[in-house]
Amino acid sequence: MANNEFAYSPPPHIKSKDLTGSAMRDVAIALIPVIAVAIGFFRLYAIVNLAAAVVTAIACEWVMRKIMGREPSIGDFSAIVTGLFVALLLPPGVPFWYVMIGTFIAVALVKELMGGLGYNIFNPALFGFVSLLIISQLFGLTATTLYLGALDGVTSATPLTFIKAGALNGLRPGYWWLFLGHAGGAMAEVSILAVLIGGAYLMYKGHITWHIPVSIIGTVFILTAILGENPLYMILAGGLVFGAVFMATDWVTSPDNRLAQIIYGVIIGVLVTVIRLYAAPTGAVAYSILIGNALTPLLNRVVVRKRFGAVKTVPVEGE
Amino acid sequence: MELKTFRGGIHPPYRKEATAGKATVEISLPAEVVIPMAQNVGAPNAPTVSVGDRVEAGQKIGATDAFISAPVHSSVSGTVKAIEERKNFTGAPVNSVIITVDPNQPAKWTEKRDVSNLSAEEIRNIAKEAGLVGLGGAAFPTFVKLTPPKDKAIDTVIINACECEPFLTCDHRLMLERADDLIAGLKLMMKAVGASKAFIGVEANKMDAADVLTPKVSGESAIDVVLLEVKYPEGAEKMLIDAITGRRVPPGKLPSEVGVLVQNVGTAIALYDAASTGKPVIDRVITVSGPGMKNPANVLVKIGTPIEHVIEQCGGMTGGVAKVIMGGPMTGFAQKDLSASVVKGTSGILALTQEVIDSNAEQRCVGCDKCLDACPMFLTPNMIAKEARLGKWDLADKYGARDCFECGCCSYVCPARIPHVGYVRKAKAELAAAAKK
Repeated sequence: MANNEFAYSPPPHIKSKDLTGSAMRDVAIALIPVIAVAIGFFRLYAIVNLAAAVVTAIACEWVMRKIMGREPSIGDFSAIVTGLFVALLLPPGVPFWYVMIGTFIAVALVKELMGGLGYNIFNPALFGFVSLLIISQLFGLTATTLYLGALDGVTSATPLTFIKAGALNGLRPGYWWLFLGHAGGAMAEVSILAVLIGGAYLMYKGHITWHIPVSIIGTVFILTAILGENPLYMILAGGLVFGAVFMATDWVTSPDNRLAQIIYGVIIGVLVTVIRLYAAPTGAVAYSILIGNALTPLLNRVVVRKRFGAVKTVPVEGE
Repeated sequence: MELKTFRGGIHPPYRKEATAGKATVEISLPAEVVIPMAQNVGAPNAPTVSVGDRVEAGQKIGATDAFISAPVHSSVSGTVKAIEERKNFTGAPVNSVIITVDPNQPAKWTEKRDVSNLSAEEIRNIAKEAGLVGLGGAAFPTFVKLTPPKDKAIDTVIINACECEPFLTCDHRLMLERADDLIAGLKLMMKAVGASKAFIGVEANKMDAADVLTPKVSGESAIDVVLLEVKYPEGAEKMLIDAITGRRVPPGKLPSEVGVLVQNVGTAIALYDAASTGKPVIDRVITVSGPGMKNPANVLVKIGTPIEHVIEQCGGMTGGVAKVIMGGPMTGFAQKDLSASVVKGTSGILALTQEVIDSNAEQRCVGCDKCLDACPMFLTPNMIAKEARLGKWDLADKYGARDCFECGCCSYVCPARIPHVGYVRKAKAELAAAAKK
């Protein structure tokens, strides 16, 4: 018995059940209400695009990891989640090959080429989505083709374009319809309620906290109210809530400590407001979060939390 | 009643049911004991006996002149068989005195004397001569803690009765079985440092212990039993002080900085034993548990007993034991084999099976921030690990490496299974080596 070899490692010797893969799976589960609403509204259009995105994501991840000599990582669910996000960020009417291009950019280029999950600076799905926006402009795919799709009567113009067009008050959808379910814009934007259910699940599971979503949405609310806009409409219309709950809270690309997260959320909220009101509403949330992503490494170093019992904080320099 | 606590921490499964209800039993003596000369934080001892010497139980066999130290005594009557390096519970070779145990051990320390007239100086000397160290696991010499710097007045003594590590129940049993001695030991400590106030901090999963202690101190205005939230690491010195007094020990400082002395349940009882009977630290209660242990138990063990003997006395292990731990599962040391011996700081021997431990490989940090929320010192564990992996020790320190007391909360919650504590230890060693240059 004396020479039995037992496993040796530093403590702790017990671990929580959470693994990266199980957390990503929880994100996929949290998307179920959003996906269900999208399929309910858009039927085959939604199913085809979601399936195209997921298949592309898995394929891109597998091929890229093969090329780069890394172990396959389908078990961590991150490719599947990224694929779902790309499809949901787009309107249901876009052709499936379009979704596939966006997913390729997200998974193959933004994630795997940067080194894989954990190394990426930008949220892969958002980067893929923004790339598509830019590509569509370059190749003359106008906002109309992208946003009004070919769907018969189910979709209408995105609520935010109403604002930009000069507040056609009689035509724009009411608050309750925006909250419960209104087909305009991206698949993810249909129902705020579905997004919030997913967010509540992620909070319950301990994967996200209120800090980022509340600071983003709160900032937009307060700022648009000050600027004389309708703050409630600003929040309910478009992809703000989805972006704040699902995209800005992405583990890898958001700051580490809670104080830095609040600052990050406020910055994104300011950017969303400015871009929406003074530039173009389309993609405002995506651009803002990506800029927030770029600031994350800096925020992590500068906004250091105060240690237990310490009098002051010391920013980390010398990187 | 509102439970006191600190910010951060984790709620692991506690698994104390296996032994919490089991009274302490004394196990039989091994054929020989292996007594390491270094069992405490601070200087190691030099043997004061030679091979072939007869030794008596309680006889001093190792000593040093260094201030931060604690002498070592023979735990048995017998003959010194060898003095040589043996691997201790950390796996490091330590000079050890190996004693062949006599079949008959004389009864000692059966008579108690009154301790109420002892002076502070006498109490400190008793602690020193008894080789008393923190028995919760830290093994810091008690006499040093009872001698705070002149400019730091201690007004409060806290008895750490949290036992926040999963599986362990030895302090729980001591509270139930030796409550009067605990309180007597606490009073000695208060006298030694001149404290006017004392708290016994009990986690709320040991209500039976709190119920035994509370009426015993109800007549004493100076001593209160405080209930604490069941959370790990509630029993960490700085966390416990914060939870009970609201005082926060600054980074790099000791509890005396905020006028507090913290001592573990077992330490207080051992101090009372030493003061009342003259018995030095030669045995202790440990919890033998874990799903791989046939008969989990709380046992009274002589210092120096090989853990293999302790496990055999508890009926041995079941098949499928993947990991053997000395101490608790959060901070204890994994054993490659069963050759190490029980030392003063040993609180438990755990046999963990594959279902309990986790053998998922380390992955890349995904920035989930769970480690930051769990860290009771408000450090940035993910960045400490990242910088340490890159060999950037100074940066690891800027994220808090040297303020880490290695509670393991970060690694416990990490979904990427990053062994932060291993990285922190590496960083501390490198930083210490760099400071010497």
